[in-house]
Amino acid sequence: MEIKEKLKILADSAKYDASCSSSGSTRKGDLGNASFSGICHSFSADGRCISLLKILLTNCCIYDCKYCLNRKSNNIKRAIFTPEEICYITINFYKRNYIEGLFLSSGIIKNPDYTMELIIKTITLLRQKYHFGGYIHAKAIPGCSQYLLKKLGLLVDRLSANIELPTENGIKLLAPNKNFANTEKIMGYVKNNKSSKFVPAGQSTQMIIGATKESDLDIMQKSENMYNNFQLKRVFYSAYVPVNKDNLLPTLEKPPLVREHRLYQADWLLRYYGFKTKDLLDQNHHNFNLLIDPKASWALNHLDEFPKDVNSCSYYDLLKVPGIGVTSAKRIMSSRKHFKITFKDLKSMGVVLKRAKYFITCNGKYFMDRTYFNKNFIEANLVLEDKPANTQQRKQLSLFNE
Amino acid sequence: MNNIYLYQDDFISLLNLINYLLKNKIKPDNIKPQTYQPTLLDEVINLKIPHNPKIIQFIIEISNSKIFNILYYVYLSNNENKELIIYYFCLNLLKYRTNIIYMRNLKCVDKALKISKYVGNEAHRLKGFVRFKKLEHDIYYAEIAPENNVLFLLSKHFKRRLKNEYWLIKDVKRKIISIYDKKEFYLIEEENFQMHNLKVAQDELDISKMWKEFYNIVAIKERHNERCRMNFMPKKYWKYIIEMSDE
Repeated sequence: MEIKEKLKILADSAKYDASCSSSGSTRKGDLGNASFSGICHSFSADGRCISLLKILLTNCCIYDCKYCLNRKSNNIKRAIFTPEEICYITINFYKRNYIEGLFLSSGIIKNPDYTMELIIKTITLLRQKYHFGGYIHAKAIPGCSQYLLKKLGLLVDRLSANIELPTENGIKLLAPNKNFANTEKIMGYVKNNKSSKFVPAGQSTQMIIGATKESDLDIMQKSENMYNNFQLKRVFYSAYVPVNKDNLLPTLEKPPLVREHRLYQADWLLRYYGFKTKDLLDQNHHNFNLLIDPKASWALNHLDEFPKDVNSCSYYDLLKVPGIGVTSAKRIMSSRKHFKITFKDLKSMGVVLKRAKYFITCNGKYFMDRTYFNKNFIEANLVLEDKPANTQQRKQLSLFNE
Repeated sequence: MNNIYLYQDDFISLLNLINYLLKNKIKPDNIKPQTYQPTLLDEVINLKIPHNPKIIQFIIEISNSKIFNILYYVYLSNNENKELIIYYFCLNLLKYRTNIIYMRNLKCVDKALKISKYVGNEAHRLKGFVRFKKLEHDIYYAEIAPENNVLFLLSKHFKRRLKNEYWLIKDVKRKIISIYDKKEFYLIEEENFQMHNLKVAQDELDISKMWKEFYNIVAIKERHNERCRMNFMPKKYWKYIIEMSDE
């Protein structure tokens, strides 16, 4: 098979992995370097960033995960790259500045160790023969031996293993050859050995959203748990795209993109805003409101804590205000030592005033008559303003039916 | 009449002139490069201030290198009033020193910070969007047409990244070429540079074709989102991004 044909097959098989980031490493080499902040090189027609050459080493697989295009029982074209072929494409794409590096994953061929050895062989060639110093993200194959993890971790910038689904039950149902224990063993090993030489850009993982019946609460609890236990850089959420027909799988017309968006927003709240899952969801609220982002939703349910005065409240209080992010909160903190901040100044600091104004005062002043400071009024306005997320929803849900 | 002060078209001259104006308490109506076309209401003043690079050290001493970079980025921008913004920024710099970056309630500071971010963002974006073509003799060649004059910033990036390759990047808007000889890069005006008609390398067509195919395949149909793509990769850059330009 020609290399072009292989690239088509093995890029097509790899594209459902959501991760594409190329940040967090400062590697240098004879050819190429990593950029600490990461660089996006292109954006595909679905609006996702293309930073790495994301391919599978092979789409042959001994497993039969129900949701996966490459499952054993699917009758599709199979291909396998040789290590030299992968180097050839990577180097040539890299020198033309198409990509930031390589993202190499693989179907399981023969057994986990054999697959890992092929991945290691490829990346060793790239690093040692071609002196490639660009970013490499490799997938660790769950169930492989520890000495192989050690070897691979020393070659790559990021190493990851996908948890696939938020609960063990989901895994049993859809990915009977996999289990949490094997994936978490990899995460634990990477966490304990991470250094400037070993997986310098840290690890990430991914969950498929909407293929099984788990609630947002299940998902966020799993994420929180993994952030705490394994110091993951990121958890990626991938709205389930039906590529196979199976009576164990749901039939969806469209992937649940708004839900995915809300999960990412909540994920950010966990990582940078000091929120805990229990603040956002509980036994009575299993799922996020699709019409309102999780932070605004939280603020509306805790309206007694607002409005906050931007000239006196704490940093963490600022972060709780919808429309104020980490950057603008820091700017407010450092600026207010020097002058009294007004609504106009907030705008120049990057605060999204059309959202924030309902929840703040500047020197005791509210932006309009205080009688409007009530839940229904604010909620209606916020929903109207959260356009991007709601365009798709609007057809299905009417704002005014109680 | 408007008092327009002229500077030799480089950053150091601009800083030297501003330094002179501030010291002599002169408030200009505007500051412009030598190429400026005066209107009937303009009085053009061309002071011959000595070109003194020590001014860089001076600014860093009274503030820090981060603030110096903000000024330099503003200078690289396409903003029409950038010289005046730099002037007022420097005026306030003498008073607020390093605290100036917190003074967003001052118009010139707010503007300078926004413009410098805009320039930095464009440079960062282009680090990804530059597309090299491989020519004969293994020379890599790219063209860009950025809003701001980011060629220097990009060259610094590619000097580290492709340090063992010969490469050229041409800013077609400003007619400047950056040339890298595996040691250092040089910015040269197009008219002073003769480029031989080099053919593309033998494997160029094959590789670029593979890339375009890869590009098209990785999009997930069910997630199609044109608006989102345009936000991240605005159309103005498409002409020089090969996977976007040919289709």
